[in-house]
Amino acid sequence: MKTRNLLLIAIFSTFLFVSVSRAAQPPVSVDLQPDAENPISPIMGDHLRFWSTLKNTGSSPMEGLVVWISLVEIDPGNEQPVDLEDWSAQKAVTGASLKPGESLRTDWPMRLIKGSDYRVVVSATDRGGRQVYTSPTVQFHVRQKPVLQAGRVLPVAAGMPLLLIGLMVFKKTGQGRGNRNNVTT
Amino acid sequence: MNTTWTIARKESAQMLRSQRGLLWLLTFSGLLSAFSLLLVSNTELSLLDNAQVVYMMAGTVLAAGALLVAILGSDAYAGEKERGTLVPLLCAPIAANALLAGKAVGLLAAWGVMFAVATPYLWAVGASGQNLGAALFYLALFGTPVVLGFGYLAMALSARTGSVMTSLLSTVTLLMLAASPLVIGPGLRGTAVGRILDVINPFAGALNTFDSVIIDSDPFSAQTGRLVLVGVWLVLCLFAARRSASRPDF
Repeated sequence: MKTRNLLLIAIFSTFLFVSVSRAAQPPVSVDLQPDAENPISPIMGDHLRFWSTLKNTGSSPMEGLVVWISLVEIDPGNEQPVDLEDWSAQKAVTGASLKPGESLRTDWPMRLIKGSDYRVVVSATDRGGRQVYTSPTVQFHVRQKPVLQAGRVLPVAAGMPLLLIGLMVFKKTGQGRGNRNNVTT
Repeated sequence: MNTTWTIARKESAQMLRSQRGLLWLLTFSGLLSAFSLLLVSNTELSLLDNAQVVYMMAGTVLAAGALLVAILGSDAYAGEKERGTLVPLLCAPIAANALLAGKAVGLLAAWGVMFAVATPYLWAVGASGQNLGAALFYLALFGTPVVLGFGYLAMALSARTGSVMTSLLSTVTLLMLAASPLVIGPGLRGTAVGRILDVINPFAGALNTFDSVIIDSDPFSAQTGRLVLVGVWLVLCLFAARRSASRPDF
């Protein structure tokens, strides 16, 4: 009798655990992966591509989906969200719908504007739900490229005025010599 | 044609052969040198910061070029009058249009020299960044009509008033107004008045194109409206110069 009661409690507990687990499981899974062809050690000016996969794991369709990418700079002392205005042409996918079991794969190209450490994440939400689902983050480092080289600017900044001064002096001495020749003849 | 060519050669020589022209070029070059040297202390710029620098330098070249060409344009007729050479010039068998064409080509040559002086500076600050080629191309394509337009306007006022000072002050005042987008912030430019000024101001049109192609990497097709604006500006100024030059004040 006692054994039977214990068995019933165990079965009931298992059912309860499974149903609670299913209820807690989000109806969407979001995955984010870097493209296989991304440079291993990217530098400013390079292009990176990320792939996100959004899957409706629930039992009801999702309407009015919005999927967007976010970039955060995590360099110590410079932690801040990055305005994607000039980084990414693709900032969001809107209006898509997903039936149960369907998935949406999106690519996120990105041009690297500034050297630093970054973390990228893709988020998704739908019209009816109040939740925002996020992918795992992908972290990368962008190497700084010297865009202004003193060795190139200084010779031009000093050389051009000197060249013009030289030209002025040359003209002046040429004129003086011409005037002296006119006087002599 | 030969007369036009002779006048054009004489006018073109002002910039490279006269001490006055060389001094102007030296001032222009000094301005660009000072601007470049200000940047050397900060070499860790982002690509956007660098594009901003190239954009600002292109704007500076445009403003300084328009100013120098306005000075030359103001001197074109009124300067001849003040030096007492206009009457002999008008009495010579030279058609008014030939004289105007010669002086107009002279202004073009002066702008060409300034463009050539500015090119190494743009290369020095923008070679490792983005859109340097586009910056040079659009500075030539949009800068030339804008700069020459101011030169021709100064020439028209110079012929009409017969006074270098009046022509120069009027043109420079208009140039300062037109070049105001270089110094006012985007907030003020975003107001209704600012947007209207942007639509009718050829200088703002050229600046917006530089912004669009250098910073935002926009294609040529996005610039056609502004190209029409600067083209109309050039034609109107040339028309004004032609009209005034046919009856110069002497």
